[in-house]
Parts: sequence; structure tokens; C-alpha cells
Amino acid sequence: MDPDLDTPHPAAASSSGSVLHRLDPRAKIIGFIGLVVLVVSTPARSAWAFILYFAVLLFIVGAARLPLRQVFRRVLIVVPFVAVVAVFVPFYHQTGAGGYDLGDLRVTGEGLLVLWNVGAKAMLGVLSMIVLGSTTGFAGLVDGFARLRAPKVFLLIVSFMYRYAFVFADEARRMRRAVAARNFRARWLWNTPVLGNVVGALFVRSYGRGERVYVAMVSRGYEGTVPLGGTASFGRAEALFLSLLLGVAAVIRVVASLGGAG
Amino acid sequence: MHIPDGFIDIPAAAVTGAVSLGVVAYAVRKTSADLGERTVPLLGVTAAFVFAAQMLNFPIAGGTSGHFLGAALAAALMGPWAATVVMTVVVVVQALGMADGGITALGANVLNMGVVAVLAGWGLLHLLKRLLPRSRSGYLVALAVASWASVVVAAAAAAAELAVSGTVPLRLALPAMLSVHMVIGLGEALITCAVVVAVLATRPDLVNSAGPSGGFARRPEPAPAAATIARPGASGADRLSARPAGRMRLWAFIAAALVVAVALAVLISPFASSSPDGLERVAADQGFEAAAAEGPVWDLSPLGDYQFPWIGGERVSTAVAGLLGTLALFVIVLLVGRAYGRRRIRPADRSDPGSDPV
Repeated sequence: MDPDLDTPHPAAASSSGSVLHRLDPRAKIIGFIGLVVLVVSTPARSAWAFILYFAVLLFIVGAARLPLRQVFRRVLIVVPFVAVVAVFVPFYHQTGAGGYDLGDLRVTGEGLLVLWNVGAKAMLGVLSMIVLGSTTGFAGLVDGFARLRAPKVFLLIVSFMYRYAFVFADEARRMRRAVAARNFRARWLWNTPVLGNVVGALFVRSYGRGERVYVAMVSRGYEGTVPLGGTASFGRAEALFLSLLLGVAAVIRVVASLGGAG
Repeated sequence: MHIPDGFIDIPAAAVTGAVSLGVVAYAVRKTSADLGERTVPLLGVTAAFVFAAQMLNFPIAGGTSGHFLGAALAAALMGPWAATVVMTVVVVVQALGMADGGITALGANVLNMGVVAVLAGWGLLHLLKRLLPRSRSGYLVALAVASWASVVVAAAAAAAELAVSGTVPLRLALPAMLSVHMVIGLGEALITCAVVVAVLATRPDLVNSAGPSGGFARRPEPAPAAATIARPGASGADRLSARPAGRMRLWAFIAAALVVAVALAVLISPFASSSPDGLERVAADQGFEAAAAEGPVWDLSPLGDYQFPWIGGERVSTAVAGLLGTLALFVIVLLVGRAYGRRRIRPADRSDPGSDPV
């Protein structure tokens, strides 16, 4: 109904049970963040390395039985960012050899290399995070970070926020619909204050809800902390997954920097 | 402004990550000390609010739209440290939960939207509140300028990070990011002011920065602003229709805001520089021609030294200087604001959970 309010709802997250879904969240967090760090640090010239990383991720997507079409639709989130960089490509490295002339501007191999670098890494990064998120779930991520000794207060705020984010997004959607039903169309910058009133009402309602929730928590014995923690344990499967994923990625990374400009 | 993976190289990611981690750790500790056991519910819910509010796109012209950031709003409502935590939580959840913004770029994104935008907005708000007359209009002008600047300054920080990483040269990234976000900032300012006006009308106790200790609410004349504190939601219509103190003063505020805006432009314009060829066209198209005419030449060529970003000699160090300069500006603004500011009354002190009116 309102396309700019369209968000992935947690209930829509994929939760089919594959081996990957059942792994300890800690292993997946370390594995995929490590993978992204290796990808980002790989020199852009080794194009084959990125294709191999992509193959590894594709294999994992298959093994986790994630819906390919949905995954790649979400990867498209990076397209606008890459497009912005693409616009700049003709403007730098004017002196570089080779390339195409476009009037006063020229697209050089170096410029295209930056574009490739950014595009490939952003795509692989988003793909990794989508695989991590959709095989672990948000509660699993919070649990994993908690057992990796991330600060607890912060994690509690994060899980609280996640609990209410979609409640408020739905509320914002309803308010927006109410405004639209009264024939308001936000077209120009000076129409914005009306949206400001909507957001203001949203804040007052949100904060009021926060206060009520707090009172409800206190009346149920809340003293400042909430137990976090799941039941998964770090066993042989986790060790195998981690060593395979990071081992393969590290080999690709090392060979790439040894100068294999394939 | 959510930078994806690959746009920030590993050294820049490490530096921004370390800075963000330090500031956020301090902010979490400070906020926990202030709010105690209320920290988790109140900050969690406020972060959820910012998350939801960011989905409301506001129009710019015709079909195009920008989206709300909320850093200055959070700072105005909750003070700088709670706002830093709130914005950080939003950025972290967007990166982990919706793959919006990269995981290696998380430090940079937190720095831009959670630290720089919040502290710049809050610092400027408090600085301008001291300079402008103590009235509702003075406060709102300060808030508008601060929220506009928070977006622009965050965009400048993002441009500097992209340039240091060798993704886009600063001479291109900075004018482009600034010109776009100077417009988006207008929407941010309008929404922020409208939100604060709406909140003042119903729950004035929630607007930290307008509190009696430093804001306009304690002005001596019997103001409607001070009158409704005890009766939440009772006379919102009166407050919304309250007139500014006087026409003369209003013009004084506008003149002051103009001076600040010009000063900001002068401070920022040296970054937008002259360049020999293709850029001039872009600069002319984007109305940066005048600003670009006399700046130093920022010739950051990212590719020659792409793989060794810290051995690039003066080019890279120029970019680092740009980043440091931007950060130094915020620190100065923050310190000045702090020196002028007095102790604020926290929402926690004002509303008693036992007699929750909502």
C-alpha cells in the first residue's frame, strides 16, 4: 500500500531447518564477519578471487536452502550506492593510459577497477550478511553476541528495539494512511511539517508505550537486566564449519595478494 | 548514508571502528549511570521510534524524496549521550538485521550517524541557544540550524571516509555529498522542528533540551510553554498557536541564523576545490562554482596507491587532515556548547513511573 514503508518484517524471515540454521550463532557470527573482512581486504585486481568468494557463498546459500530469488532481490540494495560511484568514474584518473574517451571525460581502466572493487565487495558483503541473518534470526544473533561477551546493556537495548521497531513501523504506516485518507499528498519540501506532526505523535505514543512497558516490567520483578542466552553449544560441527569457511576464504585471500592477477 | 561493505577500506574501517567503539562505550556508561534500570526500556523504545521514523520519506520536489535521519531530534529530546546510544543501536540493527550498511563499514556508519551527527547537532543547538534570544522562536531556529547541520556534517564525514579509502576522490565526493545533503537537511530541519513542537504540545517533559534549566520554558513572562507542563496534553492547541515574542526579535533570529549559515558555508567551502577539467562541469551544475574557485587543489588520486593507503604521502595525509579537521570542528562546537550549557533535567527526573499519565 505504501511502498516507501515496505520493510522486511521479522515474521517474513526464512526459518527452514538446515544444518546451517542449527549451528551455534557464535560460529556463524565469527565465520561470516571474518569472511567479509577477508573479502574487503582482498586486492581488487584479483578478479578471480571474488568469483571464488561468490561461489563459496552461493554454495552456502544452497546448503542452507535459502530462496535464491528473494536473496538476490535483497542484494540489489547495493545497486544505488554502486551507481553513485559509477557516476564519478569518468571524472577521475584523467591521465591514466587506455580507456574510452567521452568528449572531455575519459573512462580509464583504473576508474573501472575502483568501480569493480566497490561493486564486488559491497555485493559479497550484503550477501554474507543476508545469509548470516536469515540462517540465524535476530534473537540468535543477539544470543551469539551476548555469548561472545558483547556489552549486555547494549544488547538488551538492541533486542528491545527490535521487539518494538515493527510495532512502531506499523503504527507509522497506519498514521500515514490516516493522513492520506484525509487527502494529504506530500509532494514538495514545504509539505514536510505535516509529516513532522505525524512523527511527533509517533514519538509521544512510543515513549508513552516505553514508560508503560517499563512499569509493567518493574511490576514483574525487573531489576535492570534480563537473562539472555540460548541453548546451542560450540561443538564439532561448529569447529568444522568455521575452519572450512575461514580456511577456504583465507587461502583465496593469501593467493590473491601473492600477485595472482588472473 | 548507510555505507556498504567495500566502500571503506580496512585501515579506515579499523580507525573509524575504534573511535566509534570508544565514544559509544562512554555514551553507554554515561547513559546507564543517568537512567539506571530505565536505560533498556526507554532507549530501546526510542531507538525503535527512530527506526520507524526513518521509514517516512519526505518529499523534496516532485517525485524525489529524502529520508529522515533523526540524530539531532534524538539529541534534542534525550541529550547527546542517550542519543548516541539510540542512533548506534539503530545503525547496528540496520546492518545486522536488514543488511543496510556494511559490517566492515559499521564503525564508519556509527561514527557518521551516531556520533558526528548527534554531537554536532547537540553542540550547535546548545551554542545557538546561548546566542539567540531565549524564546520559543529562538529555540526553534537553533534547532532547525542544528538539525540541518547535523545531516550536512555527517555527509561531510562520510565523504572524507570514502576519500581516505580511495573510493571517490574528496574533490568529487565532498561537493556531491554536501550539495545533496544541504537539501535533504532542509527536510530534516522541518521534520525535527515539527516533531519537537508536537512533543512540546503534549509531553513537554520529554524535550530535554528545552527544559527549564537551559531553554526557553523558564522565560519570565507567563508563557504558555511553562503553563502546560503540569497538564500533559491539556492545551496543545494553545501552545501550537503561541505567537513568537515579537516581529523585531523574529527578524533578529533570522539574521542570526543567516550569519551562522554563511559562516558554515565559509568553513565548508575550502574543501570544495578547483579542478582542471571534468569536475568544473559538475561543480557548475551543482552550483558550487563560486565555492570551488579559490580553494586549495585537493588532488587525491586513489588508485595509484590503492593497495597501500597509508603510504600515499601527502595526498593521503591531506585527506586524513580533512577528516581530522571535520572532527575537530565538532569537538570545538561540542566543547563550546558544553561550556555554555548548564546541567539539564533528565526525563527520568521529571516523570514518575508510579503515576504515569499515559
